[in-house]
Amino acid sequence: MIEFEGVRYVYPNGVEALKGVSLRIGEGELVAMVGPNGAGKTTLIKHMNGLLKPTEGRVRVFGVDTRKASVAELSRRVGIVFQNSDRQLFSETVEEEIRFGLENFGFSKEEAGERVEEMLERFGLEPYRHASPFSLSGGEKKRLCIALVLAWDPDVLVLDEPTVGQDWANKERIRGLIESLLKEGKSVVVSSHDLEFVWSLRPRVLVVSGGRVVMDGRAEEVLSRDGIEEFRLLRPRLLELYMLLKKKPRRPFFEVGELEEWVKAEVGG
Amino acid sequence: MIRDVAFGFVYTKKDSLVHRLDARIKLALSAYLIALSLMAGDPFGLLLSAAWIASVALLGKVGRRMGRNLIYATLFSVVIFAVDLLSGYGLVDAAIYAARFEVIVASASAFFLITSPDEFEYVMRWLHLPRDLVFSFVTAVRFVPVLMLDAIQITDSQKSRGLELEKGNPVKRLRSFIPILIPLVIDAVMRSNSLAEAMEVRAYGATDRPTSLYEPKLSRSDWIALALSTVAFSVSTIFIL
Ligand SMILES: Nc1ncnc2c1ncn2[C@@H]1O[C@H](COP(=O)(O)OP(=O)(O)OP(=O)(O)O)[C@@H](O)[C@H]1O
Ligand SMILES: [Mg+2]
Repeated sequence: MIEFEGVRYVYPNGVEALKGVSLRIGEGELVAMVGPNGAGKTTLIKHMNGLLKPTEGRVRVFGVDTRKASVAELSRRVGIVFQNSDRQLFSETVEEEIRFGLENFGFSKEEAGERVEEMLERFGLEPYRHASPFSLSGGEKKRLCIALVLAWDPDVLVLDEPTVGQDWANKERIRGLIESLLKEGKSVVVSSHDLEFVWSLRPRVLVVSGGRVVMDGRAEEVLSRDGIEEFRLLRPRLLELYMLLKKKPRRPFFEVGELEEWVKAEVGG
Repeated sequence: MIRDVAFGFVYTKKDSLVHRLDARIKLALSAYLIALSLMAGDPFGLLLSAAWIASVALLGKVGRRMGRNLIYATLFSVVIFAVDLLSGYGLVDAAIYAARFEVIVASASAFFLITSPDEFEYVMRWLHLPRDLVFSFVTAVRFVPVLMLDAIQITDSQKSRGLELEKGNPVKRLRSFIPILIPLVIDAVMRSNSLAEAMEVRAYGATDRPTSLYEPKLSRSDWIALALSTVAFSVSTIFIL
């Protein structure tokens, strides 16, 4: 579905941000990209809808070489939500902000209207429909930025650092959203420095470092390896605890609730 | 294109003889170059100033950047040349005016390429310009690259929302810049607000006579450079006039 083949990317100023990346993201998959600042995660993401074209190698999205399609065509199927919400809002009202993409993609007036309603409801933004996007709180802005992409119903949702500056309740909302999108059969790609958040999603994890994908596998397998500190990753607490246990269940705990149940069953509390 | 022109006027950090000079000497050097290119009125004078500018650019290792910038300046020179011809100037005169434009752009470019915003600040203070003015100017210059990065990010976001800049009639194209300009302006205002707050927190404006960490003295090579360039300038002036 999204395929990278030996992708190298050099920015115009000469920085080589990707040094040969090959990977495949399949339908219905949840992939989390982690790794230090400047590793190349955002650069990788910008290749997924053709904003950047590989200097060398090839990226294919649903079988189409990104060099042969416009960003708009690719974005219709791969929706990217960038980290900074303030750097994209411009409309007078929240409603219009959501409508913008729908108009660009040629939705009819009626259908656009329906989708706007659906998004306002799904993201709890109804009370603000006529408010200025700039008057929203950080959490509401983030929700709006996700809503305005989901409105055109892309097959893949890509979230670049969605949890930055979000309180606990908002993170939970984003987590819930990702889970429900997966149930609908969509694929989700998340880049994040928040390993506790990533862990709670039970994703496939790609460790990106120095412009390369250095590890790729299930979260429990990748994050329990020795030496992940080298990539400035701090192991999630629940996994750390699991690894310390002498007698332990087959699978690690992904949520505190699972740990609690296991302890109860063991101790008989 | 805009990129090449912009970078022709943005400081490039390099380790070179010219870069290491004291900012005041760079100012003098640039003033000489600009004065020469303004005075030059015949092919010989223009060639002479061009030669001086080229040597400074090469010594400062910024020849390539300046060159790229000048390619675009040439477009304007051609226009100037054509307009001059049409308004009745002779071929030689028109060519001289066009070349003079090129040389002036080159000398301005040379100054900006070798003088960092910090050095601007230092020179402006040394000239005892009002501090708020100095600070505003330097900050503005320093924020140009930052705003350029912001503009790239904003454009990327909007293109990901299906915005197509190269499509439709001219009116539609102009309209499609609204989704980019509004966030850019708002972002710049927010940035400047937080910068102002951060400056105040760090006691900007608490005293009228702030001290400075740097009190540079002119080194021997600075004096040599000053002497050499002054001699070169005087001799060239005599030749040109
Ligand atoms: N527009 C640009 N021009 C030049 N270099 C860039 C640009 N954007 C990013 N880079 C460089 O490319 C490299 C990879 O950056 P990228 O933003 O992809 O990293 P990242 O993994 O997303 O980092 P972070 O976790 O900090 O967001 C860095 O060295 C960065 O400085
Ligand atoms: Mg990033």
